[in-house]
Amino acid sequence: MASIIWLILWILIIVSLVGLPLIFIILFYLPLPPVNGEVLTPYLFLSMMVDPTRTLPILHFIIHTDLFKVAVFPGFSFAALLAAVTIFVERKFLAKMQLRIGPLYCGKIEGILQLLADGLKLIAKEIIIPSGADKPIFWAAPIAFVATAAAVVALIPVAPGWVAADVNVGIIAVFAILGFFPLIALLFSWASNSKYPFIGGLRALHQMIAFEIPFFLSALSVVILSGSLNLTDIAKAQHPYWYIFFLPISAFVFFISSLAELERIPFDLPEAESEIVAGWLTETSGMIFGLIQLGSYVKVYALSALFVVLFLGGWAGPQIFPKELAHGPTAGLMGLLTLQGVYNGVTVNAIFWFTVKTLGIIMLMLLPRGISPRIRIDILLHTGWYKLIVLTFINMFIALALIYGGILGPGGLLTAH
Amino acid sequence: MSQDPKNKPVDSTTPSQPPPSPPAKAAAPPAKKETEAPAFEKGLVSQIISRFGDDKIKVAYIRPLRMKVNVDPLDMVEVATFIRDNLGFDHAESVTGTDYPKDNQIEVIYQLGSYSKDDIAAHILSLTTRTSRDDARLPTLINVYKSAEYHERETFEMLGVYFEGHPRNERFLLPEDWADLPPLRKEFRIRGR
Amino acid sequence: MEKNLEHQIDESEKLGMQIVKESEDDRLMTLSVGPQHPGSGHFRFTIKVDGDYVVHCDPDPGYVHRGEEKMCEYRNFIQNIPHLERPVIHDSANITYSYSLAVEELVGIQVPRRGQFIRAIASELDRQIYTLYWLAIYGIFLGHSTMFMWPTGDRELFIDLMDALSGARVTHAFNIPGGVRNDIPDGFKDKCLRHISYFEKRLKEYEDIFYTNPLFIQRTEGVGILTKEDAIGLGVTGSVLRASGVPYDIRKAEPYDVYNEIDFKVQYMKSGDSLARAYVPLLDMKESCHIMRQLLDKMPESGEVRAKLQPTPKGPPGEAYRRVESGRGALGYYIVSDGSPKPYRVKISVGSFRNMIALPHLLVGSKLADMPSVYWSLNYWPVEADR
Repeated sequence: MASIIWLILWILIIVSLVGLPLIFIILFYLPLPPVNGEVLTPYLFLSMMVDPTRTLPILHFIIHTDLFKVAVFPGFSFAALLAAVTIFVERKFLAKMQLRIGPLYCGKIEGILQLLADGLKLIAKEIIIPSGADKPIFWAAPIAFVATAAAVVALIPVAPGWVAADVNVGIIAVFAILGFFPLIALLFSWASNSKYPFIGGLRALHQMIAFEIPFFLSALSVVILSGSLNLTDIAKAQHPYWYIFFLPISAFVFFISSLAELERIPFDLPEAESEIVAGWLTETSGMIFGLIQLGSYVKVYALSALFVVLFLGGWAGPQIFPKELAHGPTAGLMGLLTLQGVYNGVTVNAIFWFTVKTLGIIMLMLLPRGISPRIRIDILLHTGWYKLIVLTFINMFIALALIYGGILGPGGLLTAH
Repeated sequence: MSQDPKNKPVDSTTPSQPPPSPPAKAAAPPAKKETEAPAFEKGLVSQIISRFGDDKIKVAYIRPLRMKVNVDPLDMVEVATFIRDNLGFDHAESVTGTDYPKDNQIEVIYQLGSYSKDDIAAHILSLTTRTSRDDARLPTLINVYKSAEYHERETFEMLGVYFEGHPRNERFLLPEDWADLPPLRKEFRIRGR
Repeated sequence: MEKNLEHQIDESEKLGMQIVKESEDDRLMTLSVGPQHPGSGHFRFTIKVDGDYVVHCDPDPGYVHRGEEKMCEYRNFIQNIPHLERPVIHDSANITYSYSLAVEELVGIQVPRRGQFIRAIASELDRQIYTLYWLAIYGIFLGHSTMFMWPTGDRELFIDLMDALSGARVTHAFNIPGGVRNDIPDGFKDKCLRHISYFEKRLKEYEDIFYTNPLFIQRTEGVGILTKEDAIGLGVTGSVLRASGVPYDIRKAEPYDVYNEIDFKVQYMKSGDSLARAYVPLLDMKESCHIMRQLLDKMPESGEVRAKLQPTPKGPPGEAYRRVESGRGALGYYIVSDGSPKPYRVKISVGSFRNMIALPHLLVGSKLADMPSVYWSLNYWPVEADR
């Protein structure tokens, strides 16, 4: 009883002495929009308790700031959330395929909190750095890995107008950033100062470089058809028909190359466990390992999202959400509940279809892990350098034929007007 | 008909031609009463004896499917080559040694088998030789039977028999810091027993 | 090339740097595989690689050497059974089978017929258990995690059966000289037949997911070819021998117990590469199911399962050499007895030790990436080879 009174006392003290001034300071410095013709002062903010609809313009404003777009949606937090979902789904999915159950005990329903437990465990572990290792690079490489993956995520449009960085040369930027990954792998393996990471790093380098060329050659066919390098424009240009119907070979090559970029089975040579312990990840432990896993799965999301934008029409899909939740402006509690001014049916629909398609492609990427053994390095290089490049050229000629034949492209038969 | 070789034979019928699989096993265990040695095995051994002479080849026993001859260390390579080329025993299944401190000798025994000839597929010819315990040296047979390489190395480290001509008379299974007697010698006692 | 290297050394020495050479030819890198490597089991071998090719391989067993042969001389014939099955804990019905046969020959024991059948059934069950485990490890070596989970899961079928028979999942201690320890429980025959039918369907699924997988075939076809002459000359045994075109199986060549009454074929393949060495155990497993059905069918309904023995059996001085076909190949025991209840010398000739000689023979000249598929296809069980 006494402890509860002390608790309440402490809460009151902290809220009034620290919390309220903090809110006021933030509100003084954030440029806020006018509400109902009045400038939003902190005192007006506190009057929200009377009229809840006054919070909505602020919400609208916050959602459209750059910080929100980068950090929460469609940026890092969204990607991290999807990555977490991917990890869990992968473990369960693979387990069911292999006559097992997968995580079961953490969390009441089928081990849902397993990821949280793993994250906490990794944070608590000791980070062992081998002697003679290059410390600055050893620490910087995992962070660079996650940062690069997040940079790719920042370029991908989730809904019309919702992209963290609307760059006019979007595709080129994506591939330029992706070219950074082999460098990180090599630097980290060299900095680990040990034989097995060294072999693994070289293998990672060979693999990623070999598959980068078919990767952007297959994206090149998409650029030819859509006539623009901007990812949002590419997604919009697929209006009646998605590009996967015209460019199935390119989509296939893109998919295989992204499996190779992501170091997933059957292309997980750089981490081939039975031959070189854990490849270039051998010396990672604790949170460094955690960061690299996170970066890896964010990359999975990023490349699946890229596939969806390039080949599956991005956010295109039938409108199943109502465009407006209420007819005309409403006030009061109903206004709050119908998210007046914040809810946009088109956007929500776009987000929904984008997420569904991305999750579908992610599931497809998870599938080979249960089916295939690992490929050998010379077969991998042979595939990457010979077979896939030939296939992309075939599809490029198909794309060019479609444009010159007047079927697609400006003024074509199948282009939307 | 039971395949049990422990059946005391009512009649010591042993087939004169050698079927690869079944009933050539109706024989008595050794050192019981004198039963007639099986003919096919006798024929094999007599080929060796006729080639090298009775004084060099001493027959230890001839049983159905198992024969054992004892030769001098100096004749080992010759006899082994003859057995491989003429009789058809093409590989050495195992090479091992037994320590007989009472005779002050170590007996090294090569169990030879055949994969390529059907009629001796079930037979094992044991080629043995004896060497003194104090200075155990034997010629190696790896030029005749390649399969004996690791077995001879193990015999070296377990019994202390040096195989002349073997490229690596070294420690194989024992730990790197083994500084004791060769373990399979009788004077090496397991601690506590 | 030598000139270039010298020039480089001169240049770098001018800059004050020193080049440390690992060997006379500093293109070679020495890798030590094992024993703490996930790719080797309790076995170590050092390989020298030049780029991606292996130029030298040196096996170094002995990490699990426990002196089985020496220990046998301190215990009598029956006390030897529990420690003799430790080299291969899950294939223990085979490694003690051969020992029992040799002791029975030395001492002069007659095994009752029902006991012989039960021994043979246990031997076949253990053969399945071992081969499935080997297959699981093969899958995981090549990175195929499903092929690790499925055989390990299906193995439980047979482990349950052995558990019902002997009371232990592994290290059954089921055979003794003179027969088996106890009779089969009620309902065992039906349970066994059910499990075998289910397993035969599963073998078809293994073929679909693993053996006909193009990636697996790419990694193992034409890799590590062991020709027939080499196989015979090197004295390899078991599935390695049968994959190189020599149809030799001790159950057919020198049948022991009741195997001459069972109708089965020796499974062999002619190509001698890693794919054949992976395929032959699968065919062996199919054949083993066939054998088990016949054994269950022909077993006499009742009878003794064990011959009556003295507490410490002993026989006249002599020696015996008996062999049995186990999961790894011919497993032979050479026992010398001097008339006392304890054997004078026991030599265990195991398939793994005999197959080890093929490892340097096959690895030298092949690629480093082929190392897992070559090494594990040789069916090498490190614990057994060390005894």
